[in-house]
Amino acid sequence: MATPLHHIVATPPPFDAPPYPADVFAGQTVLVTGGGSGMGLAMATAFAQGGAQVAVMGRSLERAQDGAARIAALGARVHALSCDVRQADQVAAAFDAVEAALGPVTLLANNAGANFPVLAQDISVNAWNAVTRIAIDGTFLCSTEFARRLIARGQGGAIVNNSAQYIWTGFPGDAHSAAAKTAQATMTRRMAREWAPFGIRVNAIAAGFFPHETSTAGGREGGIEPLQAMIPAGRTGSTYEFGWLAAMTCTPLLAGLTGQVIVQDGGESLRRSLMMPDFVPPRERAEGPWGWR
Amino acid sequence: MGWLAGKAAWLVGDSPAIAAALAAQGARLVDGEDCDVLVHVAAPPPMRPVHELGHAEWRAVLDDGLDLRFRLAQQFAARRQAMGKGGAVLFVGAPEQSLGSDHAAAAGALGNLTKTLGVEWARDGIRVNAVLTAETGETLGNLAAYLVSDYAAYVTGAVTGVGLDD
Repeated sequence: MATPLHHIVATPPPFDAPPYPADVFAGQTVLVTGGGSGMGLAMATAFAQGGAQVAVMGRSLERAQDGAARIAALGARVHALSCDVRQADQVAAAFDAVEAALGPVTLLANNAGANFPVLAQDISVNAWNAVTRIAIDGTFLCSTEFARRLIARGQGGAIVNNSAQYIWTGFPGDAHSAAAKTAQATMTRRMAREWAPFGIRVNAIAAGFFPHETSTAGGREGGIEPLQAMIPAGRTGSTYEFGWLAAMTCTPLLAGLTGQVIVQDGGESLRRSLMMPDFVPPRERAEGPWGWR
Repeated sequence: MGWLAGKAAWLVGDSPAIAAALAAQGARLVDGEDCDVLVHVAAPPPMRPVHELGHAEWRAVLDDGLDLRFRLAQQFAARRQAMGKGGAVLFVGAPEQSLGSDHAAAAGALGNLTKTLGVEWARDGIRVNAVLTAETGETLGNLAAYLVSDYAAYVTGAVTGVGLDD
């Protein structure tokens, strides 16, 4: 079902009208983990629209290079590199490489993540470790490496973490990601407190559904249109409006913003009524856009 | 630039930073009902021990922090619905646990009201958000202007703070 035509759907300004000046990040370097595609590419693009130099990091060098090429086409200086954010030595080496190529990193976007629908009892040790450790250990390792370098230089900076709208409710049928994304949000609040004396701000976006070419539901047959109507806002999100809000939290326009987790989900997580369709347990939900089969 | 170019904004309550940010982003500040955007700022009530509050004092804080805000939002939504136009509401106030029990009740109620109205009016294109903060400066102004602008078109039902203690 599509969103009925008589409903009013709020939409953002077009992609070529970002909410901040083209030089708001001039002279600064941002490192975006998982920046080669999807939500990470949207964040990297948004920082580039504000004049940042952009380091695009990914597990796959090829994907990072693809993303970096798209950002370079906007006129930004870029550097693509590969890194497993779960490995402390690789993270340290990545910061060294980015500093050598683009200069000191003063902005960090923790986006690297994996996610797929799976029944809790079917989550293998490997799958659990992959999803939770990329988000939890990866955010820890990248954020602390970033902060140590800034503190040593006596320089401030900003971090934005890509969290999720289901961190307050749980996500039945997606237990690994439910745990991982909530840890990212709670460490956001605590790191913000620890690093405030050093001028390092930390915020997170609890993102809703922003379909993109590499998301589980985004590439499904028939496209995303059948999914629009299930969201209170009447549509799924555009990745560029997510990128903008994420980058906005790092601008001097919001210099006092820290320790915040801002939900951007078109009201999806708040859908609620006493009378709802029958509850279907995840194990009986094998099919569909977020089915596990 | 101008997140609010072409929009009429009604700022109820006192916040020089929000007024400045709305104007800087191109909003026309209006004093009354014919507006695209409603921002309501509640002044923080004095902090008093709850067992020393009379019912009238308690009620006054709830009226200002909750009831009046609901009625204004309700009237705003009714007007926008009648016009067939979307809009944005933003409630601004002190953090829930930062003052007395009267304020805690009002702010908690307001937060869940924000989440409720954001969904209830979503298909009218009317977004409802809240900033509960002790901050009063430029960041609050800019955040408020952003949240009522189309740039936040996918943000509704959000209750956020600004600083560490919000």
